[in-house]
Amino acid sequence: MKPAKQLILPAFGVLILVGWPLSGLSTDMHHRVLGMAFFYGAFAMTWNISALTGAVSLGHAAFFGLGAYAAGLTSHYWQISPFLGVLLGGLLGGVYACLWALLFKNLRGARFALASLASVEIPKTLADNWDSLTSGSLGLVGIQSLPTLDLGAWHIAWGDDLKAQYFLLLAFMSMMVLFHFRSIRSRWGWAIRCVREDELAAAGLGVNVGAVRAQALILSGFLAGICGGLYAHLMGMIEPALVFSLHLSAMPLVLSLFGGRYEVFGPLLGALVLYPIDQLLFHSLLPVGHAGLYGLMIIVTFLFFPQGIAAWLQKRGKSA
Amino acid sequence: MLLQLIASSFSLGSFYALIALGFSLIFGITRAFNLAHGDLILLSGYLAYALYKGLGAPVLLTLPLCMLALPIVTVVLHRFLRHVREPFELNTLVVTFGLSMVLQNAMLLAFSANFRLLPKADFTMLPPESTPVLNPGQIFLIALSLLATAATHVLLHHTFLGKALRATIQEREAARLAGIPVERMGVVAFALGGTLIGLAGPLYGQSAYLQPFAGPEPTLTAIIITIFAGVGRTRGILLGGWILGFVESAAALVLGSSWREMVAAVLLIALLLLRPEGLLTLRPHRESKA
Repeated sequence: MKPAKQLILPAFGVLILVGWPLSGLSTDMHHRVLGMAFFYGAFAMTWNISALTGAVSLGHAAFFGLGAYAAGLTSHYWQISPFLGVLLGGLLGGVYACLWALLFKNLRGARFALASLASVEIPKTLADNWDSLTSGSLGLVGIQSLPTLDLGAWHIAWGDDLKAQYFLLLAFMSMMVLFHFRSIRSRWGWAIRCVREDELAAAGLGVNVGAVRAQALILSGFLAGICGGLYAHLMGMIEPALVFSLHLSAMPLVLSLFGGRYEVFGPLLGALVLYPIDQLLFHSLLPVGHAGLYGLMIIVTFLFFPQGIAAWLQKRGKSA
Repeated sequence: MLLQLIASSFSLGSFYALIALGFSLIFGITRAFNLAHGDLILLSGYLAYALYKGLGAPVLLTLPLCMLALPIVTVVLHRFLRHVREPFELNTLVVTFGLSMVLQNAMLLAFSANFRLLPKADFTMLPPESTPVLNPGQIFLIALSLLATAATHVLLHHTFLGKALRATIQEREAARLAGIPVERMGVVAFALGGTLIGLAGPLYGQSAYLQPFAGPEPTLTAIIITIFAGVGRTRGILLGGWILGFVESAAALVLGSSWREMVAAVLLIALLLLRPEGLLTLRPHRESKA
């Protein structure tokens, strides 16, 4: 495909996603569900940045939860601006990712996945038991919602107005698409691909394998922490069992696998398809246990579409 | 106090060994990393609970029934996992991670999030004051765990099938060259592992509460012990189980039981970093020379 042609579909998608709420045909429920689909798509892309190096993590809930707690606690105790708090969340996620990069630098494949899975328990147990700071398993409630931006006649209430929140999340997601794009289609992205396919050959070509893996992991942890911080302010309440959950670790994996791990828009596509299906369809059919859908999607994707649906659709498109 | 600690870690550890044994056999022989191991144990526990509550089956009878039912589940699982592509370990880990979520939510749907407990098996023949440190339930748990471990040990080390299984663990390709049907050994491993899971489930339900989301903890236990002991080493697994049981009991005593998960997680990370050979199934040469 030519580059120009390649841009048509995404541009078309953006046009629909921006134009549809402006047309007045959408309801607040659409804004809510699609907005959260953007959010989880963004989170999936942060996960994928490190997964692209071959380090499949089952523990991104650790970064997410740490980010959420950093934002939640600073907001709770010092009432600092949510945007600063979200940034602090990112920093905390980044610091934890630095620890991973240092400790787990020799772990590959299943071993890395296991270590990442176990790493969630440490901040989770801390948040659960440090009652005086985090109020333990009860969680933090009443975290301030996102601020209202006053632009003369326009009041953009990111906290209350779901349409404004929709556009904020759309912008947030677009920013993550940029990061994700750079980790696939850039010199650095090629280094990442090299490291994933064959470390020895990559090193032979002059790629600093250790540095590339560490950079990707730390960037991924930082961005996942930002997602967590934003989540704290979006929801207004957090608790250890929620932000450090297995479900949150699985979510980016499912969305990326389903959409296509190696495509720029793969994780986002996964989020835009699966999250609305889950929320609008399964949530009403199965009020309890609908989260099992994500587990089921992992199995189905792995057994039948190992490259993700994006690649599968492309292949079908080509052969047709 | 100390006696109590040793007694409880002995019973906990023996049960841990039983949990780890099934995982270790399946992983060693097929290299399938079953992250849904603990959830399958809970499934077995819930099956026993349903048999007991729904059909009024006596608790002792649920043990053999679960030991018959769970191998069917695991052999079906094996049929699916065979289609998973390389890298097999990582990909089976991810698929069973998904299976774990499915099972958790299915159990939530079927049995609700309430804590369930199976009644202890009935031991009226024991005089109530005869056991000062171990209660009858614990003795039952220890006896069955050790019996199952011993049976697995005898099977692995003193039968022809066991020899073939061990050969598959040690050197898959060489075993194939020697005429061992490696694929069929995989089915045997999953069936054996399923039997052990089936046994562990009702025992779990008698000694701890059944809860749909409790599965990851026994999975973690199984992985820790397997890495510690190496694959398919029954005696090492038993030792690992006791050590882990002691460490966890002691940690719960000193730090409080809410820190237990963290202790297990730190142990797992430490083992992954310090014993990277623990998960290698194919190279026991160094140890066999010694």
